[in-house]
Amino acid sequence: MKAPIKISPRRQSLRTSLFTVWAFARINTKRFFRDRTALFFTIIFPLIFLFVFGSLNSGGGDVSFNVAVISHSDSQFASDFVKQSSQSEVLKVDGDITSLDEAKEKMTRSELDATIILPESFGLTQPGESYPSGEAEIVYTQNSQASAVALTAILDAQFKAINSSIVTTVTPFTVKGTQLNENSLSAFDYTFAGLLGFALIGVGIFGPLNVFPELKKMGILRRLSTTPIRVWQYFLSTMIGQVAIGMLSFAALFIVAILVFNLEIVGNWFELIAFLLLGMVTILGIGLALGGWAKNERQAAPLSNIIIFPMMFLSGTFFPRFLMPEWLQAVSALLPLTPIIDGIRLIATEGKHLIEILPQIGLTGAWLVVIYIIAFRVFRWE
Amino acid sequence: MVEVKDLKKRYGDKQAVNGVSFSVKKGEIFGILGPNGAGKTTTLEMMETLRPIDSGSVVIDGINVKDDPQAIKYLIGVQPQSPAFQDKTRLVEVVEMFAAAYGEKVDALSFLRDVDLEEKAKSYVEDLSGGQKQRLSITTALVHGPKVFFLDEPTTGLDPQARRNLWELIGKVRDRGISVIMTTHYMDEAEILCDRIAVMDNGKIIALDTPKNLVKQLLARGFKKEQEVEQANLEDVFIDLTGKALRNEQ
Repeated sequence: MKAPIKISPRRQSLRTSLFTVWAFARINTKRFFRDRTALFFTIIFPLIFLFVFGSLNSGGGDVSFNVAVISHSDSQFASDFVKQSSQSEVLKVDGDITSLDEAKEKMTRSELDATIILPESFGLTQPGESYPSGEAEIVYTQNSQASAVALTAILDAQFKAINSSIVTTVTPFTVKGTQLNENSLSAFDYTFAGLLGFALIGVGIFGPLNVFPELKKMGILRRLSTTPIRVWQYFLSTMIGQVAIGMLSFAALFIVAILVFNLEIVGNWFELIAFLLLGMVTILGIGLALGGWAKNERQAAPLSNIIIFPMMFLSGTFFPRFLMPEWLQAVSALLPLTPIIDGIRLIATEGKHLIEILPQIGLTGAWLVVIYIIAFRVFRWE
Repeated sequence: MVEVKDLKKRYGDKQAVNGVSFSVKKGEIFGILGPNGAGKTTTLEMMETLRPIDSGSVVIDGINVKDDPQAIKYLIGVQPQSPAFQDKTRLVEVVEMFAAAYGEKVDALSFLRDVDLEEKAKSYVEDLSGGQKQRLSITTALVHGPKVFFLDEPTTGLDPQARRNLWELIGKVRDRGISVIMTTHYMDEAEILCDRIAVMDNGKIIALDTPKNLVKQLLARGFKKEQEVEQANLEDVFIDLTGKALRNEQ
């Protein structure tokens, strides 16, 4: 045993204090990347959500129905109709089906939404008439009523168009839809900002919440409390690590959203990153407060559920807040995650500048102060 | 080096520590013995700044724990009862982190060498055996060159080889001039290792002397063991059969 006894300085300079912070941040971040489970939940998990929600939303108006067309008619009109249907974008015709029994079987398994049946007389010119006529039948199961109603409406519209070309009548009143402002927000813009909020909860809250109580249970934080390290140093080192990890997770989300789902960032990237940092530090404070307070996992779970779930569902993480009743919008507007998600959306997809989203910055900043005061008050080493 | 005067601590209606006084010299191994609940750990924790002191004082190297706990932290090294480290961390990193907690940058390898863990430097802590964890814990408690070293039941749960190895290590720490204060439930350990012993019960010290003197005093009171003392005991047999070489469980 060597290592001579030296007199340690009683009070540390700021530089020494920050050296401590940096060493803890460096080693703990390395440690995070060795933990596959943590990696999965913070980086891969939000990406999976992005793919799921992204594919749900990015379709835009492309609704399609899986149908079978069974024609009992030999008329020219019927065969034209079958041919047209198979080329339609709205109808995905299953060409293998020739009988109603086959169709029924597939419908009960929800592989088909409905079956279109053309009766024998379909498209024939009835005696005494000068034009062909007929009635198509749409067969569907209880499970696919909504699809069938939509399908009926679509076919009805198609037939109306055909009717008017055959029988010319005057239609004095019509409706025409005109698309306005092609830069309007798509559902995906809302989804994406919400997903960033979701990732933020993962890194900022679940990060410390999964680590701190476990370290306390093992007595590691208690052991650390016999060294001169201060709570702010420990918090700051955690913050540096989590922010680095969070930025990585965000980068992955942005890259996928831009490349795969054609997300268009119209705002300023620097302003966006600055605001993301503010949001991340704020939400991380919630994790530090919860994890710092809880003595063990059992204490951490119920409180964190009370705080995280309302935020997850009310702040616009999974569905936009404008769908909520007004009173709920008013309440949820005050939650810490709400101004962050709104702010991200305003900058990223609406091209707003920081100066224009001062209400969001102000509310986030206020939460930041409140959250960190609580976090420092309730922290315990064991 | 260490002066404890009339130390008291109360939990609810239980007086856990009830007026404990003792002093420890530089380079001395001081043992605190006593049954569970006697107040040993509470006494240590108050000295280690982990628990607020109700009354009385602890002065280490001229600094009162109550007045300046932050300064005390630079003077003491603490070995907890069951050392644990966060997983997925390499041994070198553990040493670096503890040194960093004191604001110091050290040669982590040399500290691992001190406790024969150099070849494990790149391993993760979860791959260590119980004895190796104890040794790692000792070296992390010494990274900042403390003057007083606290150990709480350091050899509980270790095999005889690992215990002997740890005794040797604690002896070496003492030889560096560090005062060692430890608790233990093993009388052989106290007898071999400790220069002086305090026996605690119900929050009070009921005897304080060198192990030899304590035995002498008992004999002087006319105590006789019923059995003849044998020249060897079962532990001697065990060590004779399995050797003194330290085992690494994996």
